[in-house]
Amino acid sequence: MNLFRGLGLIIGLELRQRVRGVAWYVLIGVFVALVAIVTLLLWFTTHTWSTDGADGAGGWLYSLIIYFVLLLGTLATPALSGNAVNGERDAGTLATTQVTLVSTTQIVLGKFVAAWIASLAFLVASLPFVIVAFVLGNLDVGTVVVSFLVLAAELGVLAAIGVALSAIVTRPLFSIVLSYLVVAALSVGTLIAFGLLGSVTTSTATETYIGFEADEYDDATGEPIDPVCQEPRTHTYDVPRFDYYWGILAANPYVVIADAAPGGFDTHGTPTNLFSALSSGVRSLQTPPVLDSVRDICNGGAPGATYLADQPTPEEVHDAAVPSWFVGLGIHVLVAAGALWWAIARTRTPAKRLPTGSRVA
Amino acid sequence: MTESMTDSPPADGVVVDGVARSFGSVHAVRQASFTARSGSITGLVGPNGAGKTTLLLMLATLLRPDAGSIRIAGIDPVADPVAVRALIGWMPDTLGTWSSLSPRTALTTIGRMYNLDVQAARRRASELLATVGLTHLADRPARVLSRGQKQRLSLARALVHSPRVLLLDEPASGLDPAARTELRALLRRIADDGATILISSHELAELEVISDAAVYMSAGLTASSDALTHAATTTRQWRIRALGDAPLATALQQIGVAPENIATDNRGTLVSVTGDADAAQLLSALVAAGTAVTSFAPAVGDFEHTFLDLTKNSAADQHPEPGPEGAAQ
Repeated sequence: MNLFRGLGLIIGLELRQRVRGVAWYVLIGVFVALVAIVTLLLWFTTHTWSTDGADGAGGWLYSLIIYFVLLLGTLATPALSGNAVNGERDAGTLATTQVTLVSTTQIVLGKFVAAWIASLAFLVASLPFVIVAFVLGNLDVGTVVVSFLVLAAELGVLAAIGVALSAIVTRPLFSIVLSYLVVAALSVGTLIAFGLLGSVTTSTATETYIGFEADEYDDATGEPIDPVCQEPRTHTYDVPRFDYYWGILAANPYVVIADAAPGGFDTHGTPTNLFSALSSGVRSLQTPPVLDSVRDICNGGAPGATYLADQPTPEEVHDAAVPSWFVGLGIHVLVAAGALWWAIARTRTPAKRLPTGSRVA
Repeated sequence: MTESMTDSPPADGVVVDGVARSFGSVHAVRQASFTARSGSITGLVGPNGAGKTTLLLMLATLLRPDAGSIRIAGIDPVADPVAVRALIGWMPDTLGTWSSLSPRTALTTIGRMYNLDVQAARRRASELLATVGLTHLADRPARVLSRGQKQRLSLARALVHSPRVLLLDEPASGLDPAARTELRALLRRIADDGATILISSHELAELEVISDAAVYMSAGLTASSDALTHAATTTRQWRIRALGDAPLATALQQIGVAPENIATDNRGTLVSVTGDADAAQLLSALVAAGTAVTSFAPAVGDFEHTFLDLTKNSAADQHPEPGPEGAAQ
């Protein structure tokens, strides 16, 4: 059978029986209500900021909406796709489909595409609020396009993993739980692993401090009069080495979206949305800590905090560092494709080996 | 292994030769060999856990045999499952229906999965719904169907693409007597058109009415012809009814039937007889003795007798299968 015809049949079948239920519309309704509340609150808190339209909160609202879609997508997709194959096997309808001319590849891929389409419904439902974000201003079209595409790809990865697990694991309950564990590992587990590993791995840093002494201070300015520089004093302390582990965060879907979105900085180089704030923060972790620093507040007889001068802005940090989103997304897509391939191999008939405790029909 | 393949196999039939399949340590099918001819209905007879469902799953291209060969209309289901799928209609023993879809939608979808275009699939669905008597429920969700109605829907699904080979796993269970009669007539029509029909069941009387031939299966083995001959010549009970009980008892005594071979139940007198020749002799003796015989027939059907005899022998020959319910798993 023609590949697309078989795929289309399975997708239609899935969407008709699995998705089109009351629960699904309730979920979408709850999502719309939540995003509406967030939009309203952001509107009230931020419309006073904007005096000239240049610092509107549209970017913040938009990035929040996208993260909402990702959050709900990660919560709903495993439930919708996590029993796609083994649930049908339990119901006795998988084998009756497999004896038709539709191939196993078409069955598994069709279920994956259907689950993906279902999770994209959240993205579609969020569109009216994206328009509100544009009205609020300060939102880059490039940011919108890229984050939409990357979010869609991430939802696809989640759908693929859910469907694949439902074919690999025999019991529906188990595969749904496992899909949630994968989501949790990517969203929260990467943060925990990063934090723990970075804290455990420490280096010894040495700081040299040069102070000054002055007998008198100018009453008017508070500046010291005739300061005398002291001998440099050094002390050592442990610093965590997060720079070794920043790659772990690249596997986090929230970081992938943030890192992929271009722009998002104002003329002072400070972030104008959650994506650029997060990605400049994450990218700054690539810089190793300074292990041999000098804090010279005496400054050769002219005391001041000049050692603090010339700190890079978040935008400069962001642009100087290595982008990691395509590595993270690439790994996600590879894992998803591999899982689907395994799922197809596992479901193919005539079956040679059956997982223990399962039956073909 | 290919001996039986050499004497020209029926073009449209099913030929199974030395097929075995095990699941881990459970040997569901040990050695199955039989031929089902086109244009006829073959019954697959055996107790629960005999391996009937596993055998049908292998014929339906869902399971790969560990050993042996299968030919469906001359095609090997392992080598070319797609070609076999286009030919076979399979009705499983588990009643799977897409519960939120109506029978009409389900059948139309299945039709399209067999490459029918939308119009043809819709036509075929309406036709089959009428054939199996589900037209009045055609547009309700399938979850409202009763067990018997789901059974009919399952049969309709197996027939969507007018298959040349029909594999039916317990098709009559859950059907009322009228529906069974209709099913028999329908299957006979399909067989008369030249299709090969293989029906598995443990309801022997039912199967005996419809089948042209039988394959006996027990503990994963199909019965050999020796075993079948043996079964045909073992002692079985015949039920005799005559006008008046007393004259019959007297007549039996006069003919010289040993009292231990005579029993009675609420439907007549039972006499143990070995083989058909003895039965014929007994009948003519009774008639000659002037008994007004109104009914003279085997107390159990041929299938049941053969089946019971084979089960008895195989139980004596070998250890019973552990966990017979796991055989289809």
